[in-house]
Amino acid sequence: MTSTIIEVRQLTKKFKAKTAVYNADFKIARGEIFGLIGQNGAGKSTLLKMIGGLIHSTSGEIYFFDRSESKDQSFFERMGLLIENPGLYPQYTAYKTLQLLAIAYGLKSPNQYIIHLLRLVGLDASDKTKVKNYSMGMKQKLGIAIALLGSPDVLILDEPINGLDPQGIVEMRKLILELNKTGLTIIISSHILEELSKIATTYAIIHKGKIIEVISKDDLLLKCEERIELEVDHVEEVLPVLEQQLNISNYRVIDQQNVHIYDSHIENHQIVHLLARNQKLVHSIVKYKMSLEQYFLELTKSAGELHA
Amino acid sequence: MLNIFRMDLHRFITNKIMYILLLVFCAFQIFGIFMFKQYAQPIQAGGIDISKMNESEFIQHLFSQPPSWILIYIFVFCVYFYFSEYNSGFYKNYITMKKARVYSVVSKILVQAIFTVFMMVAMVVSDLIGRGIFFDNTSIGDLGYFAKLLIGLFLLLWAFSILILCTSIFTRSMLVSFGIALVLVLNVVGMIFAVLESLLDNVYLSQYLLVSTIYSTFDYNHGRDLIHIASVATVTLLLFAFIAIRLKIKEDLR
Repeated sequence: MTSTIIEVRQLTKKFKAKTAVYNADFKIARGEIFGLIGQNGAGKSTLLKMIGGLIHSTSGEIYFFDRSESKDQSFFERMGLLIENPGLYPQYTAYKTLQLLAIAYGLKSPNQYIIHLLRLVGLDASDKTKVKNYSMGMKQKLGIAIALLGSPDVLILDEPINGLDPQGIVEMRKLILELNKTGLTIIISSHILEELSKIATTYAIIHKGKIIEVISKDDLLLKCEERIELEVDHVEEVLPVLEQQLNISNYRVIDQQNVHIYDSHIENHQIVHLLARNQKLVHSIVKYKMSLEQYFLELTKSAGELHA
Repeated sequence: MLNIFRMDLHRFITNKIMYILLLVFCAFQIFGIFMFKQYAQPIQAGGIDISKMNESEFIQHLFSQPPSWILIYIFVFCVYFYFSEYNSGFYKNYITMKKARVYSVVSKILVQAIFTVFMMVAMVVSDLIGRGIFFDNTSIGDLGYFAKLLIGLFLLLWAFSILILCTSIFTRSMLVSFGIALVLVLNVVGMIFAVLESLLDNVYLSQYLLVSTIYSTFDYNHGRDLIHIASVATVTLLLFAFIAIRLKIKEDLR
């Protein structure tokens, strides 16, 4: 059974006249990689900052382990944050940066732990290069090492692959998946959907400050799965023919005229020939496959139309 | 609390700008004394020749001539120290810790107290060196009076640094903070109050303003003057420390 680690209820943030996040509602289960998808300016960072305790909500509540943050703010310290850019002193080395923060965290003899964290993210503890000379990827890695310093239960990563080169993206993906394997719950935002689809286990789609859908990876795969969309006069007359003569078993009846067939071994022409032989009229038949990107665009488009 | 203070203290001690500021201050202080010798007419300040002044009188003489360099150095350091963390976003790495917002402000207030002490030590040492070289006079005068003067000045300067911290938190802009700090150091507020007071009868508010108090000459052997200094410093210190903490708690961080 998965337990809820964070629950967001009716969370709203207004900046003067602008509503950045409106009535956000969702739950995050322990151990999942929760992907927050949205265009630039959709409200992803604002939402993550509220969850991370950097900014205050205008209304609504965040619950950590069923306790409201307004009653017990100590839960914020169980989170590691990498929001927007990592906060680094340019004149420090990676090791010195962690050493300085280890003082704030009150860590006793932190040297071995710092070396372990730097190794974990792929940085060298003995490297004397100053942070100002780091590449974007190295800075992001150091940001993750910093976020892990307090041994958090939840890691919040806001656009961690922004500005990374292809190799950096692969390394970052590998690191996130490795961290998740240790039991860490990860909340990650991105507008690069393809990348997010490789790691997230649940998606929340945010558009113009509103969470328009929260969907598990399995449900999303089902929605985007390759299928044949068939439109006929009467589905109930066609299905026995398809079942008996083409061995179709994986399908979903949408309504009296539409059925979606998920059996990947079937081709459109086989269905058309079979139904023609049996004198069944085919109104339309379409092979359909949707990427996460298309799904997102369709969803935000319809949400935009609804909004308008 | 102690851990965040230790972190800030570590950053303070390893911060080169602090040592540079102290060195530049000492150099200018000594140079200022040289200029007194070279170009000042036989100045009579309160009936005493500058070259004959003891350290207490000399410090009071310097502070009676705004703008005070020590105030400028203090505001430069305070604004720099706060914004080096704020602009880099380093606070995001620890601010989620319990009560970290409060502790972060208190920690900076304590670091500013240490810097103020450093500045005062630098001032006294460079004065003694400069006066020793150019006036052949290293007299401190009455030690009790000197101690009271230093404690009073420390409280006033520390309160001023807290006012600057509060301004920095409020404005969230380094440039704006520098601008406001400069206006404060020039005692523009005090002058405006003084003008307004001249239009009214029996109103003497300006003398209770922090910067006006710093620039005023007091008799530290006089109980009433001591109460004036202690009350202005304490009220300013507590008021702006409280406001700074409240602002930080309510602040939406970037």
